[in-house]
This record gives sequence, structure tokens and C-alpha cells, in this order.
Amino acid sequence: MSFLKRFPPPAEGIRQQQPDTEAVLGGRGLGTGTLYIAESRLSWLDKSGLGFSLDYPTISLHAVSRDLNAYPWEHLYVMVNAKFEEEETKETPMAEGEEEEDSDDDDIEPIAEFRFVPSDKSALEAMFSAMCECQALHPDPDDEDSDNDYEGEEYDVEAHEQGQGDIPSFYTYEEGLSHLTAEGQATLERLEGMLAQSVSSQYNMAGVRTEDSVREFEDGMEVDTTPVVAGQFEDAEVDH
Amino acid sequence: MEISHSVKERTIAENSLVILLQGIHGYVTTVDLRDESTALGRITNVDAFMNIRLAEVTFTDRQGRVSQLDDLFVTGRNVRYVHIPDEVDIKATVEKQLQLIHKVRYFGGRDKGRKEFPTARHK
Repeated sequence: MSFLKRFPPPAEGIRQQQPDTEAVLGGRGLGTGTLYIAESRLSWLDKSGLGFSLDYPTISLHAVSRDLNAYPWEHLYVMVNAKFEEEETKETPMAEGEEEEDSDDDDIEPIAEFRFVPSDKSALEAMFSAMCECQALHPDPDDEDSDNDYEGEEYDVEAHEQGQGDIPSFYTYEEGLSHLTAEGQATLERLEGMLAQSVSSQYNMAGVRTEDSVREFEDGMEVDTTPVVAGQFEDAEVDH
Repeated sequence: MEISHSVKERTIAENSLVILLQGIHGYVTTVDLRDESTALGRITNVDAFMNIRLAEVTFTDRQGRVSQLDDLFVTGRNVRYVHIPDEVDIKATVEKQLQLIHKVRYFGGRDKGRKEFPTARHK
């Protein structure tokens, strides 16, 4: 198995480490070793230090299989979207005698099936959960369908959240005021005026600062929760 | 119906139909995968990236071989279709999920509880 390499086990981010675990690729056993479910990748190393790693983005799915009719031992099943060298056995899809309905697919979509059979069956749930958590850390970078950019004022919440990390992007009312340029000051006054006017006249939106309530609360700079343009969130459900 | 603890995930869910999938947790249905295998089972979790976790699954691989899986996790990338059960009212489900997200966001009123959009006070 030339894809087996020698490398040190992951040093950090190990969510689950399972010794005495057999690894099987397709129909062929690779021996017994330790499975490392780490945040960066999934690694398996046998007793001699040889093994392989799988990157989470290449893992299509994983599952706990206790169906002894399908496979004689309870195991963690991992389907990988990649080609791995393996000898042909009766179980591989390309074996003679089997109908190749999806032979075209095999070219486009390489699939490798790994099974990890721990000697401790009770660990399977933990192994499964650890993998779920690690998979969630690797969202699909090629995801074109979902628009995660969120451009536009409405979705500036994302920008605010990202800005909130280590760098304080918020000032207290007094601090902020002193940082304002003349133009900034004018804008602030205009916005506050607009807000107080339009909102208080429409309906009483919970928590929105009007002229009166500003005196109660110190920071009038909380513009990120209130619409810049009055009525922008008109259709939002405010009364819970 | 657990709402994600991540602000980013809530925002993503709120703006895509993943929110519908999050509303059908607990239903038994079929997920068609990209490689034409299918998984019939009970949806236990769907996250904002459409990673789907199913329990008590009847898995039919692309060769047509059937097996049972106790727990299955499919990455969003590999999901082609999720069958929505007939008894699910899609519009109502989406609205309910949106309400749940808003409840979390505005918990305790604007000035108490968890702050989605922090101010200087919470520096």
C-alpha cells in the first residue's frame, strides 16, 4: 500500500484518540493502529508508525455502522471523495461480474470507503461525535450556491461581529463624540433626529432610542441595532 | 428545535432555506446525496452549512446496496436533495424558525441578556 507514509501523530487539537483500531480501505485491511480524530485532519497510524491522513473537506460522510449483515464488525464508516490505491478484491466496485451502472460516475467522482473498527465498540458514538465536530470546523470553501457575503446595509451585522474580536470598534458616547469630525458630528445629529422623528411617530419599537429615552441611557451611539433608514425593518416581527 | 449558538450560523440560516431544514428536526425523511446514494432516516441536526446528521438510517449506496447505519453525518456539499415530508407546512416552519432566532437575538429585551450586537458597555 504505497499511500501509507510515516509521520508523527497530530500534536494538538485531538478530539478523540482511539487505540487498537483496525483500518480497512474498501475490501482490504490495513492492520491495527491508533485513530486520531484531530481538528486539522483525521489520521491513522499503525504500530510501526506507518499510516495515512484524511482531510475533512475530502470526507463526504461518516457513520456508525452496527449492521452486521452489511459488515461483520461494528465500525466507523468514512466515505472519502478521493482515489486511494487498493488491490482489487471482490468487494470493490470495479470487480468483474458486477454490473457497472455507474462506471461513468467513478471517473468523475472518485470514492474511497474507509472503515475503522475499534476493539472497544462502545467508543463508536464518541468517535462519531468527534468527527461531526471536526467536520463542522471545515465548511465547504467551494460553496457557490449560498451567498455568504451579505452585502448591503442590512447585513452589516456581519461586519460588526467580525470587528468585535480583539479590536474595540465601539466607543462610549463621550469617547466617540470626541473622535467625531465636524462632518461626523453633523451626521450623528441628523441620524438621531431622523430616528427620533420617524420612529416615535410610527409606533413604539421596543428599545429604540427616542429623544426621551436617550437621557436614560448613556450611549446614544448604538446605531447598529437601529435602522439607518427609517422603516427599513418595517416588516420585521418586533412584538413577540 | 435548538438554535445555533453561533451568531454567524444564525445569520446564515436566517438568510437561506437551510432554515427550513432546521425546522424539520425529528422528522424521518430521505436525503439524496450527490453521488446518487440515498439515506432514509430521522433528521437529528442540520447546521448552517447544510451538514446533516441522521439517526437510524437505511442507506442505499450508489450501487444499490442497502445497509443500516445508526448515525450518519453528511457534509452539506454532498447533499443533493432533502425530501420535505408531506405533512410539513413549509411556510409555517420557516416562520417559526425565524421567530426562534429572533427570540434568541432579542432575549430579555434590547438591553438585557445576550447581546447580539455589543455596545461599548460590553467591551
